[in-house]
Amino acid sequence: MLKKLLLLQAFLKKEFIVFRRYWVNSLGSMITLYVIFLLVIGGFQGVRAWAGVGGDTVEGLVVGYVLWLFMLATYQDVSHTLRSEAQEGTLEQLYMSTHGLGWVMGAKVVAGFFTNLVLVVVLLLAALATTGVTLNVDFLSLLPLVVGTLLGSVGIGFAIGGITLVLKRIDSYTQMVQFLLIALVAVPAGRVLWMRLLPCSYGSALITRVMVGGESLVQLGLWNVAAMFFVGLIHLLLGFGVYKICERKAMLAGMLGHY
Amino acid sequence: MIRVESLEKTYPSRKGHPAVKAVDGISFSVQEGELLGFLGPNGAGKTTTVKMLCGLIKPNSGQIFINGIDLVHRRIPALAEVSAVLEGNRNIYWRLTPRENLEFFAALRGQSPARLRADIDHYLERFNLGEKRDVEARKLSRGMQQKLAIAVALISQSKVVLLDEPTLGLDVQASYEIRQLLTEIVKEQGRTIILTTHDMNVVQDTCQRVIIVNEGKIVADDSVHNLLDLFRVRVYSITIQGQLTPSQRASLLAMEGVVMEEESPDRTSISVRLEDSQILYEVIGILESNHSIIESIDQDQNNFERVFLEIVKGGSQGA
Repeated sequence: MLKKLLLLQAFLKKEFIVFRRYWVNSLGSMITLYVIFLLVIGGFQGVRAWAGVGGDTVEGLVVGYVLWLFMLATYQDVSHTLRSEAQEGTLEQLYMSTHGLGWVMGAKVVAGFFTNLVLVVVLLLAALATTGVTLNVDFLSLLPLVVGTLLGSVGIGFAIGGITLVLKRIDSYTQMVQFLLIALVAVPAGRVLWMRLLPCSYGSALITRVMVGGESLVQLGLWNVAAMFFVGLIHLLLGFGVYKICERKAMLAGMLGHY
Repeated sequence: MIRVESLEKTYPSRKGHPAVKAVDGISFSVQEGELLGFLGPNGAGKTTTVKMLCGLIKPNSGQIFINGIDLVHRRIPALAEVSAVLEGNRNIYWRLTPRENLEFFAALRGQSPARLRADIDHYLERFNLGEKRDVEARKLSRGMQQKLAIAVALISQSKVVLLDEPTLGLDVQASYEIRQLLTEIVKEQGRTIILTTHDMNVVQDTCQRVIIVNEGKIVADDSVHNLLDLFRVRVYSITIQGQLTPSQRASLLAMEGVVMEEESPDRTSISVRLEDSQILYEVIGILESNHSIIESIDQDQNNFERVFLEIVKGGSQGA
């Protein structure tokens, strides 16, 4: 276990070093995302349907946008890492880790979670200041819900990353996933039961109930939270399964590290 | 330390390209502390073999044992014994410094960077990276990046190190430094190193033994010394003043192993490949018959490049 912690520490340190060393780039990303948020808010009337996330309110829009951002960053931590490491020539080194790639990517996702959390919190504060709305930011209730919701993003990331390993250069298609994530945040999973089976959707609905409706984790009901986690785990396992099938195919074809 | 038995790899056909048998039932073993050159022309199957030794490509059949552990079926425990530099200077993170790279990869390989601090400092100094320890790798010269990639492979304390083209694209000085380092590391640490390279100077300078593969099969497996002896050919280069007469020219070219190298009004050079020392006397006799003045007779040095080409050519002809 100590070795796994050392692995996590190594990824955290690497994330922090790159974030700090390339702070101008990091800041630029934040500004870009904030500008996109302003455009979304500006066109709110035109995208009112999208705001249906949280009951046709600006609050819902803020929650939906920030959650989408978190899901997108987490998805990219997996799929983009697999692609960029292959491009840069370091993927084979990750494969040769004595921890196994599952643990390596797990450490990468957890380390990325903290970096993404900083990004999301800063953007949330900026969004709240810009719109003047107030949200219930109950960290104790939100943390498990966010983690459960992101399991689906990680699953999607593994599946897309695996497909990229085999098919290579399919960026134009993988970019469409960001729009898929918008849809997953926006669907009314709180009202339509079968939509709770979609990746991230039920978690998104529960998070909106906490942040906009002011409910706590206890008020949401243990059964609902457990069901959300269970669905998230299934999506994670499915995504990892797709990845392992693709990895095996890439290893048989000798194209694991190529891009 | 390494045992490979009847290893086979065929890449499946795709996009209209037929299936390719890259490795065709090879078997070999490598002892602890041995520095082995794994050579072959492009497409011979050497990179496929090395990647199978790293657990990155699945063989169709055959077995690989690293320190007694079955790599095909127990990949992770076996990989604890193996590290590799497969993409040269691309095997490191360019946005991290040499120290940060060494710390990161130590953790990736299950080592504690804090416990390895002394080793990290040692490798930084040993590879002449001490002064650049806090400079981002992207700002280092290619030779330094390559040295860092090798240091990263060594920091994991694995018993086997696989190096794919460790001197590719380096200048003479950097290539020489890496050759020296590899030789010293094998001597001091007793690690097993397998390297692939197209640079026969590297092989001749560093490797104790070579395996040459061609078309997926092993065509030679012997010590560098033995192969040099086996393929020892004596080639002399004879330079005379002026030109040859037509009769001299005809007589010389009729002899097996004689080739005109350079002809100008002032000087003529001929190359004589000796299967039998008597030929040299006959050549000199022909030159003296017309009172040609011999300027020099030089013996060409036997080198491993020639040995390699002879073996590969022989293997291809035999196939």
